[in-house]
Amino acid sequence: MAEPIIRTEGLSKKFGPFTALNGIDLEVYKGEIHALLGDNGAGKSTLIKILSGVHQPTSGTIYVEGQPHAFKTPRDASQAGIGTVYQDLAVNPLMSVTRNFFMGRELTKGPAPFGLLRMEEMDQITHDEMVKIGIDISDPRQAVGTMSGGQRQTLAIARAIYFGAKVLILDEPTSALGQKQQLEVLKTMRRVRARGDIAIIFITHNEVHSMLVSDRFTFLALGEVIGKGTHEELHGTDIRHLMAGGVEMADLEQEIAAI
Amino acid sequence: MAVHEASSQRSEADRLNKGGILDQLKRRPEVGSFIVMMVVIIAIGFASHGNAFNPLGLKNNLSIIAQFGIIATGACLLMIAGDFDLSIGSMIGFAGMSMSMMLKWGLPFGLGTATPVTAFLITLAMTLFLGWLIGTIVVRSKLSSFIVTLAFLFFLRGVTEVCFRIINQSTQISGLPDYKETSWFADLFGGEFFTWFYSAWYALGGNLNRAGNQWVSGFDARLLWWIIVAGVAYLILARTQAGNWIYATGDNRESARANGVPVDKVRISLFMVTALCATIFAACQVFDTNTADAAKGNLKELEAIAIAVVGGTLMTGGFGSVIGVVFGAVTFGLVANAVFFIPAIDGSYYRVFVGVVLLTAVFLNESVRKRITGGL
Repeated sequence: MAEPIIRTEGLSKKFGPFTALNGIDLEVYKGEIHALLGDNGAGKSTLIKILSGVHQPTSGTIYVEGQPHAFKTPRDASQAGIGTVYQDLAVNPLMSVTRNFFMGRELTKGPAPFGLLRMEEMDQITHDEMVKIGIDISDPRQAVGTMSGGQRQTLAIARAIYFGAKVLILDEPTSALGQKQQLEVLKTMRRVRARGDIAIIFITHNEVHSMLVSDRFTFLALGEVIGKGTHEELHGTDIRHLMAGGVEMADLEQEIAAI
Repeated sequence: MAVHEASSQRSEADRLNKGGILDQLKRRPEVGSFIVMMVVIIAIGFASHGNAFNPLGLKNNLSIIAQFGIIATGACLLMIAGDFDLSIGSMIGFAGMSMSMMLKWGLPFGLGTATPVTAFLITLAMTLFLGWLIGTIVVRSKLSSFIVTLAFLFFLRGVTEVCFRIINQSTQISGLPDYKETSWFADLFGGEFFTWFYSAWYALGGNLNRAGNQWVSGFDARLLWWIIVAGVAYLILARTQAGNWIYATGDNRESARANGVPVDKVRISLFMVTALCATIFAACQVFDTNTADAAKGNLKELEAIAIAVVGGTLMTGGFGSVIGVVFGAVTFGLVANAVFFIPAIDGSYYRVFVGVVLLTAVFLNESVRKRITGGL
């Protein structure tokens, strides 16, 4: 097996007396979609916040392409090639698609930060990059507010890839969307996967979505890994069982029926 | 299954009707303010029998319009970034006090007599520091800028009055020498510009006084400053990286931060910009009239915000334009001055007008916001 693009070893995080994560080992490979599943409070968010540099781990190490890294800020993580697409932090609705795409990394000519924007060029790049992952926006100067939720996710994904992400962390990219847009996002993920050089960490609640697109799975419950495996190794029933944090669905059904 | 085939060929992008030029115009922030401005220009032109736009009327109107425009431009940039500055008016009073006191009583710490240059530069250093301080407090404390700048509204006005009483024994200074006669720098703020305009008017047979000589010689310098301030602000906001950062900061601060926009620096810089605008405003006033008063600039912060809103700037940030503010300033300046040209009306109608226009503008802005975000 090739070297994982991201590997964590014994990653732990304590918030005061509360142990959010306890010894997480994770391997993520290029060209794969890695689903990170777990119930609310399982530690998914804490884990991705550590991977994207928002939190620092209490102990444990992150290896990017074999090299140990300690991210102090989100910028460190993005420089190491980890791009995070948050569910609601992705874009600014009142700004144009292009201005969002290049937000914070504008192409300019002249001394920063008063350099003139190279608007034509940025419009072109935005349009081309969006087409590459499957959305043809007619007017890159339209406000992002006019786009659907799925298109906004796509914009954020295209942006992360264009600015050099080797690992994309997608935080519940489908959870706030309607059925059809969920499929759009899943298709976008598969298109990114098809490039072969990018790994996707897919955080989700939805086992159906994860089974549709993912190559590899890691299940978290109460801050620990309770199961992992590839698509072939797992079966649908296992997933549901692991999603619920190891509780038997049959038990749950009985409990519910008893009320 | 013909229906399904047709629907599968449509894409999400097709659902946005780009519409004609008219529809695109409706999404611009400055449309509403442009219409209001045109109505006001025509109405006042008729009601004053053209006097509002005769040579002197034009000069006086543009003088007050420029005053409004200078501070409203600063307020607009700050509002686009999602903050308010209620200390603009008090900052004007403070800067005017500082400059005039140095000119009358000499530089602080016995550094000798002040020239217009030193008085202005030392004042500017203080106001920029205050702007930086306000911005830093807002950013660090995470309090609303409304409350922090409200505190500075009282604080600076109080400091201004106290300094006047302690050093000057009176809350006003008048009868300063006419510095613009002797200093090019004072002339830059208090003198006359664009004299070619009135010369040309005279040459073409207009602009005559009763004796048949040239009547008005030039515009007040604040018109020049307004053009500079608005021009630079327009360029920065619409065309530069810094402009994109300002929009990003006001639209969704966390998203801007996550994308590497230096949000805190943007906000602090803009509080310094409003302080700069207030200082230019004060310098024009001091060097034009050679007087200062502790009450100068009173309520100007609210007028600046009102003009920015009427110009299409969203109260919630992230959207607005300098051109809209130009239209807003013209509207407000004309109405504020209307009483001089239409003696029949009560000057207090100005405030009635402001109230009505402001409320209308807020509704209009809200509908524009919904239109561009697809909520309508």
